[in-house]
Amino acid sequence: MSVVILAAWLTLVPLVIGGGLPACSGKGKKNIPFCWVAGQIILWALFEVVCVPCVLLSRRFTETVALYAALTFVLLIVSVWLGTRKLRKAKWSFHVIRGWDEGVGAWQRCLWAAFALLFLFQLVQAVRLAYADGDDAFYVAVATVAEKSDRMYQILPYTGSTTGLDARHGLAPFPIWIAFLARISGMRTVSVAQVAVPLTLIPMTYAVFYLIGRKLFPGRGERLPLFLVMTELLVLFGDYSFYTVENFMIARSRQGKSAMGSIVFPMMLYVSLSILEKVQERQKVGLAWWGLLASTVLAACLCSTLGTMLSCLFVGVVGLCAAFCYRRWKLLLPLAACCLPAGCLALLYLMLG
Amino acid sequence: MWGQIVALFREYMGTGLVIGWFLLSVVYLLLREKRTHLRILFVYTPILLLLLFFNPLFARIIYRAIGDEIYYRILWLIPVTPTIAYVAALLYGGLKGRKRIMFAAACVGLVALSGSFIYQNPFFHKAENRYHVPQSVVDICDAIELEGREVMAVFPKELVQYVRQYSATVCMPYGREQLVERWTYRHPLYWAMEEEVLDAGQVAALAKEAGCHYVVLPEKKQVDGSLLDYGYEEFGQIDGYVIYRDPTMNFSLVAE
Repeated sequence: MSVVILAAWLTLVPLVIGGGLPACSGKGKKNIPFCWVAGQIILWALFEVVCVPCVLLSRRFTETVALYAALTFVLLIVSVWLGTRKLRKAKWSFHVIRGWDEGVGAWQRCLWAAFALLFLFQLVQAVRLAYADGDDAFYVAVATVAEKSDRMYQILPYTGSTTGLDARHGLAPFPIWIAFLARISGMRTVSVAQVAVPLTLIPMTYAVFYLIGRKLFPGRGERLPLFLVMTELLVLFGDYSFYTVENFMIARSRQGKSAMGSIVFPMMLYVSLSILEKVQERQKVGLAWWGLLASTVLAACLCSTLGTMLSCLFVGVVGLCAAFCYRRWKLLLPLAACCLPAGCLALLYLMLG
Repeated sequence: MWGQIVALFREYMGTGLVIGWFLLSVVYLLLREKRTHLRILFVYTPILLLLLFFNPLFARIIYRAIGDEIYYRILWLIPVTPTIAYVAALLYGGLKGRKRIMFAAACVGLVALSGSFIYQNPFFHKAENRYHVPQSVVDICDAIELEGREVMAVFPKELVQYVRQYSATVCMPYGREQLVERWTYRHPLYWAMEEEVLDAGQVAALAKEAGCHYVVLPEKKQVDGSLLDYGYEEFGQIDGYVIYRDPTMNFSLVAE
């Protein structure tokens, strides 16, 4: 039963919440990978907003769980309402393989099959293999301790002795999200962290690459499978250095910094791509896109304290380039607004540091 | 500062071949990509980020704010994988028939030669259970845990980093911080536990001082004397480890 609950929280709930963003899907079509990733990003942003004050106010973990679950429930209802309101107009696109209806060539089928095989291989390896990483002794233990002791960042994860509030780490409470999943599913925290989270985050990374690929090759679906196979190969052969994001993605999927590098930053690239595409075509950028960008920035803050600075840096550089290239300096205003929460957290981080 | 940044970038690059493909891809896009929004994200932004990364003034500010250990993560903002894959797919799209197949095969070969297969990393090993921690940790923790209270136990260093991932109620006098070279403080009990020949009297005294209910030792560890001579009793032998229990400690089930 706990597996079913966990699977629902990691797939169904984000999917429904992402489905409530009709303005983002465009052309009246709801795309499953988009809804899933966007939904999860929104949920991560919500978790950051709920959890950080709870940590700083030294509230109990149980209270955080209750508050977050209640807000997620409200968000679900709103999303279902928004989704069903436009259900008649919207079409659900279950075709991950673009142009399948029109007939896909044998070679293209081979590439899609290669992509599927490599994808499954990574999932099997995520369950079959363990990676000995010392940082787990901190991050996974923080989750285990929070779930068991009901206290967040007040117990030393390495030893179990009581300490003052570790507010600096508390600003990026990704481990507490793992503890939340463990609490609502009833599964042991270490299993959630070491098995369930990688099984979710690895597919999510490829979902983002898929979304980027669709943007890069509009109407040229035959290039998409090669693009995806290449991303897989670059990940699989990404151990050329200890520091690469690909190494973190496969070896340390349960750590927030890995989610930041392999999901949140690519998602930031995808959202920026979508926004700039609209700017390029002189279309109005809907509020939903700005909201999604702000959520992505907040999700980066949840994953790592460094996420506050890096997400703002990326948005800032992209914004300046876009403002300069399009001669539209007003673009900087909504971009700055998206970074505002991260800016506040960065300030807090410096004050606490 | 400049030297430090370059050294960090070299470490990040590894062999440098993948980063080489990335830089070539950026140059290709600089010359061939017409769509402005794609130029912004795949050409101008990476170039600006690289310029910032190599800027000693910027580095100095960031070093001060976040420290030097994680400065390399700025490079995570550069979309290395999507950029290489994008250019490969662009070139592939421009070919027809057999040339396409040959190009795809060449891409696979080049990536495989340029990178390093992640599952060959020596830190990967077959998981022993659904918790991905050593089975000995699971068995020992299950054996010594007490419902409703915490217990203190000292473990040999190969188990230290896993214990509290699995169990929040098994506490330790020292943890993973003892295994990190750059963190210089070492707990006296850590030194005593990791001696080549363990001094039973010294370990017993230090473990008592640290409030340990249990001392876990590898079966094959050479011990000068025996913990049994210092008031400990053998609690059990599990997965190649001997667990000693200090009966003088408080094992009351009432939470402290």
